[in-house]
Order: sequence, then C-alpha cells, then structure tokens
Amino acid sequence: MISPELAQFLESGVSVLVGTRDARREPACMRGVGARVAANGAELTVFLPAATAATALANLADNGRIAVSFARARDHRSVQVKGRVLEVRDADGGDRERIERYRRDLVEALGVVGVSPRSTLRLAHWPARAVRLRVEALFAQTPGPGAGAPLAGSAEGAGP
Amino acid sequence: MSVRLTDLQACFQGIVPTIVATCSRDGEPNVTFLSQVFLVDERHVALSNQFFNKTRRNLAENPFAAVEVYDARTLEGWRLSLRFLRSETSGPLFDAMALRIQVIASHTGMTGVFRLLAADVFEVLAVEPVAGFLLPPDPVVDAVPSLCEVPGPLTELRGLQTVSELIARAGDLDELLNGVLAALARVFRFEHSMILVPDETGRRLVTIASHGYGDAGIGAEVEIGEGLLGTVAQRRSLVRIAGVAGELRYGRAIRDRVSEVGERARLRAEIPLPGLADAEAQLALPLVAAGRLVGVLAVESRDPLSLDEWDEAFLQILAGQIAMAVDRMEAPDEETGEAATGRPATTAAAPPGRRHTFVYYRNDDCVFVDGEYLVRNVPGKILWKMLRRHHQEGRTEFTNRELRLDPSLGLPAYRDNLETRLILLRRRLEARCPDVRMVPVRRGRFALEVACPVELVEKDSA
Repeated sequence: MISPELAQFLESGVSVLVGTRDARREPACMRGVGARVAANGAELTVFLPAATAATALANLADNGRIAVSFARARDHRSVQVKGRVLEVRDADGGDRERIERYRRDLVEALGVVGVSPRSTLRLAHWPARAVRLRVEALFAQTPGPGAGAPLAGSAEGAGP
Repeated sequence: MSVRLTDLQACFQGIVPTIVATCSRDGEPNVTFLSQVFLVDERHVALSNQFFNKTRRNLAENPFAAVEVYDARTLEGWRLSLRFLRSETSGPLFDAMALRIQVIASHTGMTGVFRLLAADVFEVLAVEPVAGFLLPPDPVVDAVPSLCEVPGPLTELRGLQTVSELIARAGDLDELLNGVLAALARVFRFEHSMILVPDETGRRLVTIASHGYGDAGIGAEVEIGEGLLGTVAQRRSLVRIAGVAGELRYGRAIRDRVSEVGERARLRAEIPLPGLADAEAQLALPLVAAGRLVGVLAVESRDPLSLDEWDEAFLQILAGQIAMAVDRMEAPDEETGEAATGRPATTAAAPPGRRHTFVYYRNDDCVFVDGEYLVRNVPGKILWKMLRRHHQEGRTEFTNRELRLDPSLGLPAYRDNLETRLILLRRRLEARCPDVRMVPVRRGRFALEVACPVELVEKDSA
C-alpha cells in the first residue's frame, strides 16, 4: 500500500487536507495537523484539531468515508489517500509529540513559500482527535494532465 | 447569509491556496487544493477548471462542493458551501479567468498546455468563519502595530492632481514618461514601474522608461503575446497577479508533469520575468489612445498584498491620461525646417587614450560598442547614420525632421514613433557608452557629443 518512501512524504511538513461528506453526500473539508503511517502502510492515522473538526467528525460517525490529500508547498507534489475510518479517539501524549514535530516542519515548508512562522504557528492544533483509517486507494494529485491517476501499489488500481 | 462575500476580498486573491471537497454519486469524498476562486458577485463564486479531473467528474454527478478559503493577511479561515450551477466557456468571467491563467502559462512556457477549460460557476449556499481555526494572538509577539498608513481619498485625489499636472506640463516624451514613473513612486509608493512601447515591427515591446531598476532594464524586449506584459499588450486588457512566485511554482509543477508524460515538445523556453526577480504582485495595463496601443505600464511589488482593486481603478485613470499624452507627443512636432548647420565637432575632455569601437551589423541593423550589444533596428540605424555623418562631415546637430525625411531609415509616414526611438537610443548610450551623448538643443533638434575618438566598423553579419 503505502511504501516507506511515500510514508516519509506523508509524515513530513506537507499540507494535510481532509475531505468528508454527510448522509446527503454534501462534502466538507478542513486542514489536518499531521499524519502517521502504520500497519506496513495499510493504515493511516490523521490528526484533526478538535476546534475545527466538528463537521468532519459528525460525517465520519455517519459513514466513515474519508479522503486525505497531502500537498508540498514548494513544488505542489500531491498525493491523495482514500479510505474507511477504523477508529476515532483523542490524540495522546505520543501523538502530541508528532503534532509538534509536524508544526515545526510545516513552519519550515511554508516559510520557503513566504508564509511567516507566526502565521503557521497560530494554526489551531491541540487538543486533537486521531482518525485511523484503512487505506483503500492512492492517487497522484500533482496538478497537471496526470492528476487523478492511481499510484502504483494502490489496492484497487482502477481509476478514481 | 450572515457574512458578506465581498468582505472576503483578501481570500480571493489566490495567495493562499483554497481547499475544495466534492463527493461522487456513490459517496466517495475527494479533496484537493485549487488555484483560483473568483468572486463573481454577492451570491456566486467561480472555480477555475483547467483539467478534467476527479473534482469535475464528481460535480457532474453531485453538484455540492465545500471550499475552505483563507484571508491572505490574517490567515483566518472561512468555509463556503457551494452548489454547482454551470460551466462557462466564453464571456467576461471566462475571459478574466483565462487571461490570468494564460499569463501564468506563458511565464512558464506552458501556453496551450495549461489553459482554462471552463469557469465553473457556483451558488454560495452558506459562508461561515472557521471558529477556532487560529489560536488567540500572543499579546507580545503579535502586538506589533501595523506600520501601513491607510491612504484616504483626499491623499489620492491630490496625488492624481499632481500626476495630471505633470503630464500636462511635460515638454517632451522623455520628461513625461520618467516624470510619471517618479511621481508614482513619490506619491503612491509604486517603487518599481516601467513603460514599454511597441517596436516598429509591432511584434515586440521594448522598455523605454523605468523606475526602481537602475538603468539595466532600458531596451529590454518582450514578445507581444508572451508573459504578463506581452499578454496585456495583445489582449489590451489589464492583468493583476498577486502571489506571483506561488503562481509560477504552480505553473512549474504542471510543466514537470507534462514533461514526464512525454509532451516536452510542446513546451518552449521559459521567459524570464521582467523587473524584480522576487516580485510577489504585478499589475500591467495597456496604454491605448484612439484605439491604438501606444504602450504598456507595469507596476510590481515584493508585497503580495500591495496591489488591489483600488490600484487597478486608479492606475486605469492614469493610464488613459498617459496614453493620450504619449499619442500627442508621438505626432510629428512642428520644427523650423532649417537645415542643421555643419558646425565642427567639439570633442569635450575625455581621458587621453580612451577610444570606442562601434560595430554595425547590416543584416539585422544591430550596433555593438566595444564588443557589447547596444541597440538595434531603427534606433541602430539612426545611431549609425549620425556617427558616420559626424565622422565624415563633422556634423554635430541633427533634427527630427531630417531623420523623418531620410528614406534609408525606413520610418513609416504616419505615427513613426521617432521620439520613442530617440529616447531609447539616448538611454542606451547613457548606460553603455557615456562618452557619446545625445543632448537636446531645442524641441525637434539635438546635438551629438562625442568625447573621445571612435572607430566605426561595418559588417554584413556577426
């Protein structure tokens, strides 16, 4: 599923975008504050700030469908993970260390494209909820003609 | 709707990318960054559709979309609930979005690859701030008072008056152009600006006046139709870009992908941005008088938020005035008609032993001085003619009229742009070879001052 190289990218200081939808299939989006790959790349945990996650958590409780895009500011390299939620819990102390490291990496990554450290550090991040999902498909998302193509190693292999 | 969409202007400048989420018919959400959200009116926005991707396919199945936009100044977030209405592939909205994308595309050599397929128009169902998105400001770190003064309408009205007066009083085109750019800096803090005019072929723009770049930019050329300035000239409409660096990075990401998928042959060499290498905001306006493009005015800044709708409106008023003045001054001036006298050449004091070699290439009317490019085309022909006359006959004064009547220069009978050619030539000499100067004597007449011996060499081609 998620290769070690890809895991390194997903866990770095990239923007984390989370998409969910409600029972009527109305979508919602928000920013996450980092992610962690587990189970040899078959599972992903994404951290959502509690302050802004109410809609996303309600949607996940309803149907468990989730999309998470990871985008690097300096070159727009982007990957989207689609999956089903396995578990939602409060982020713990170990998670908090990850989130803090993510913030430091994000400050550096966004600094390259001109966002001030103060702005990045003011993004809400704690307390957070940890959303663990089963990875069902991976897609290349870098803008351009190849956007949306499934990545090699994707479980389904079919088009998005 | 409790929040007015038009109050969120700073979210629609394309500086901080927007998140967009959609959902397929079978309930699979999709989320991605989006380069552009256009504010259409109080109840509608438009998203740029550049590639037929998953977002597009989802919207065909399920019209609902959610976007999260960010205020570029404060980074506050706002969530908009949208319902897809229609795709526009022509009309003013499409043109405005397409022009912006075309500019980005041509900057990155992606013309024809990276283009707007449609402007997707959405009804805005709800707008709400993302409560708790930002932590409270730190009382110490974030308490730095804003240094920017908010200029009031009176300041601006006075500024406009200043610039208008300057335009009215300018005695010649050079004074007009440089005076206007200096006033833009002094009164309005547009510190980096330039004016370009079409060359005699009508295929290129050439920089004739600049402020804030030193003298290096004079004579720089841009193909009409390419880059921000060339696109503005071709389309004759204004373009404003904020977050220039970000836009270019976005263009490059697509360029890399196109190259990978084997379409490299469609890409052309990238055009360097004229002006500031680290510009974050650019505004370029066509100068049009009586339906004729007389030039392009460009302003840029390192502050991505320094140019806004107000600057657009204000500079458009100024551009109209500048264009009319340029048009008036380019019209053949009334000269006495008397022939220039054959006064002996005066060689002012120059260090002994200094000399310059001018080389003229006949195939492209290009002049080099001491091995470096100086000028070409009509200004090149004019310079060569004057240097030869000076060398052979000791001529020191020349009139615009005799240049106009000289068939070897090939100036058109109507709207010859001779004034702009002479300004360009004078500026290039100042920058590259100050020992040879063109000094105005009176309107329509100037002296060629040569301060040290010069050698003239003519070649067929390089």
